[in-house]
Amino acid sequence: MSDHLLSKDEMKKVDDYLDRGFKVHYVYENLSGMFVEFNRQEEEVCLQILTADARKYFAAKLQEQTLLQEGMSI
Amino acid sequence: MADLRIDLAGIKSPNPFWLASAPPTNSGYQVQRAFEAGWGGAVWKTLGEPILNVSSRFAAVSYNGQRVAGFNNIELITDRPLEVNLQEILETKKRFPNHAIIASLMVEPKQEKWHEIVKKVEAVGVDGLELNFGCPHGMAERGMGAASGQVPELVEKQTYWAKEVARTPVIVKLTPNITDITVTAEAAVRGGADAVSMINTINSLAGVDLDSWNTVPHVGGKGAHGGYSGAAVKPIALNMVAECARNPFVNVPISGIGGISNWRDAAEFMLMGATGVQVCTAAMHHGFSIVEDMIDGLNNYLDEKGIASVMDIVGQSVQRYSNWGDLDLNYKIVAEINNEVCINCNKCHIACEDTAHQCIDLYTESGRPMLKVREQDCVGCNLCAIVCPVEGAISMVERMSTIAPMTWNERQSIISSFAR
Repeated sequence: MSDHLLSKDEMKKVDDYLDRGFKVHYVYENLSGMFVEFNRQEEEVCLQILTADARKYFAAKLQEQTLLQEGMSI
Repeated sequence: MADLRIDLAGIKSPNPFWLASAPPTNSGYQVQRAFEAGWGGAVWKTLGEPILNVSSRFAAVSYNGQRVAGFNNIELITDRPLEVNLQEILETKKRFPNHAIIASLMVEPKQEKWHEIVKKVEAVGVDGLELNFGCPHGMAERGMGAASGQVPELVEKQTYWAKEVARTPVIVKLTPNITDITVTAEAAVRGGADAVSMINTINSLAGVDLDSWNTVPHVGGKGAHGGYSGAAVKPIALNMVAECARNPFVNVPISGIGGISNWRDAAEFMLMGATGVQVCTAAMHHGFSIVEDMIDGLNNYLDEKGIASVMDIVGQSVQRYSNWGDLDLNYKIVAEINNEVCINCNKCHIACEDTAHQCIDLYTESGRPMLKVREQDCVGCNLCAIVCPVEGAISMVERMSTIAPMTWNERQSIISSFAR
């Protein structure tokens, strides 16, 4: 899969979790990329994000979530 | 006609173009001819205890047919007695009272040595002093020049000693042969410098002769490192000027030096914070008359921009120079190829395929070879546009990002709040 398609796929996964009501509660990065733990009530999932574009996209989404939680308009 | 006059820390000159302290300013004859040609100021070749030079002294690096892309020298400061230089400065100042004459000075790092030379030089009416803490070769082996300029405490102390007796503005000339030039620039300011100038030459060895295995240049079969200047060093110098210009602790005017060869280079240095510029290698390559084009070019540029005074452009680009961490990660440009102009040399395709991101496709349309950028895979690195030999064949164009602007520092701040 090309980097572009892979990043689109990873962005879609981020969107899917957020659309389904998951919230980001833990993020860490290491040599293998970015790992995001989402949770929704008792449910918890971990998403590994490999591509640079998707990691940028996720950071934007994280900012949106943060602003929404702070009650700010985006 | 724009006003090209500058005022650098109180040193006034009819235009921002000064000759740097170097072989072109070795004598009154030369400086007077330079002023006749149009140079606004001259930094007299460094005065100090007269030295002995060697032969040979210069070497140049030519690149793909461009002569003197870089220039290497192992010449030291003046080899003439101080009194001879002072007499010629006096005569020159008398003939050209409105031109700036700045005396470059280098002595041992001792208070009495600085006091002595500052007093003697100021007595003949120079407009300012430039302390040479940058010369990388020869003198540095004796604890002067760059050897002094690489130690912030020595820069501060010697500046202070010069300022103790100086009545004219003191410019401190800095060496680029240091990891962070702002450290020594700050030291100069702490010592009381009225201005800083940069860069002096960069440690260099021009080459090795593949037949004789001698260094280039060599002195009877032996070589020593020299100082590199000329067009090749301009980006290094421009960055150092910019780093000082945006440093709040270097709050004095800057005289920009390093590879300035035409009015465009000068304007870039001034936009990046230099109040004026100094030129050496280009004058050594082409003669004093290059200043005519520099003056005309700068004048026309300012007129076209509707800018009345050259001083109005000083520092205008500084705020646009930042840390990498403050750049927008989501800003997006991509390459666009104009196949009507393209000559199908395929250099862009080869560069992208071999050394970048493999996003330029070759295809054929009506039997004609064509190139197309796959935008989704283009990272906007510029390499294809850089290697393209045809003006206008490749443009880098902005693409609206679907995600909001975010810097690396902002990203890290957000992500850190989700760390355990």
